[in-house]
Amino acid sequence: MMLAEISGNIHVAAAAFASALAVGWIGKSASEAVGRNPGAATKILVQAILSTAFAEGIVFFALFLWNGK
Amino acid sequence: MLSFAGLAAEHAAHAAVAHEAAGHGAEHASEGLPTAAPVLFHVGPLPVTNSMVLTWVVALVLVAAVKIGVGQVQLIPKGAQNFWEWLVEGLYEFVEGIIGTELVKKTFWFFSSVFILIVSTNWFGLLPGVGTIGRGIPVEPGSHKLSHVTEPIFRGANADFNMTFAIALVFFACWLIWALQFNGLVGFLKHIFAPKGGTTGIMFVLMAVVFFAVGLLEIVSILFRPVSLSFRLYGNIFAGENMLEAMTHLGGGAFGWLTALPFYFMELMVGVVQALVFMLLTAVFTLLICSHDEEHGAEGHGHGHGAGGHH
Repeated sequence: MMLAEISGNIHVAAAAFASALAVGWIGKSASEAVGRNPGAATKILVQAILSTAFAEGIVFFALFLWNGK
Repeated sequence: MLSFAGLAAEHAAHAAVAHEAAGHGAEHASEGLPTAAPVLFHVGPLPVTNSMVLTWVVALVLVAAVKIGVGQVQLIPKGAQNFWEWLVEGLYEFVEGIIGTELVKKTFWFFSSVFILIVSTNWFGLLPGVGTIGRGIPVEPGSHKLSHVTEPIFRGANADFNMTFAIALVFFACWLIWALQFNGLVGFLKHIFAPKGGTTGIMFVLMAVVFFAVGLLEIVSILFRPVSLSFRLYGNIFAGENMLEAMTHLGGGAFGWLTALPFYFMELMVGVVQALVFMLLTAVFTLLICSHDEEHGAEGHGHGHGAGGHH
């Protein structure tokens, strides 16, 4: 018996899963870093936003750059 | 790329979108936001989309706000002038902290404009009326009540891929010009291909080969920057608009405003964060190619200029 059906692209799911994990991980590390050294907050913010942007960029590549079947 | 097709075949666009959506098997697909901005009218050969209209409105509002607020520059700022000074000085110090005192003087105009334009277009896209006023499909033929608006007068400007790709291309051109101005052609090529670190002898030859390969990879990554920059902004804003629409439908006629409300706050945040990300990324890309700390060698790329700003 089929309880549920999953439709869509597996590569998008994989990219979304991994980049969500990565973004969360970056946020956790950045908060920890600011907690240890509040003086470096701006520098850490820059690094964190950059890494977040690169991590979430993956999912946009997966979404838009591959339109196959 | 998506939108170019949409622009070329305006009337086919709706059918194409509906067809595409049907392919994904969603029942409410016709209610979703089309990926390409609908064309409203043509000026000569130039198609004008609703996203372009919103961009112009925002640009006019910005110009008017600056003209009215800071038309006569006062020594002691008051009111609107205070606000603009706070914004521009804050941005200046922020960008200066990242790319250094020397580079910021030359490039600040770009980063501040991009930030202010993106954040205002994102926030204007959240106003009531954007995406809801316009031509659409009537409930029944001849009726004035619309079941769905297919051609709104306004649409979030960055929900049009042409807009974000245009900003990214402008940055790419600026980046190339700045890189050549700061390094010269030889310095520019050296920056990408030449080995770093003070190795000698056989190690130098090996490192030269490795760094040449790294340079080739770097060129690929440089060429992908406009793509990732534009897709990131477009993806975030387009997805946000789509989500707001879906959430409004989820609540139905009576509670649509309630289910969408938390997501409006989120979209306000996304609007700033994405503008910040765009500005930060472009600033760091500029810093990476324009850093003058080559002589210090081992200093590395990342923090060369940030540290240089302090002495």
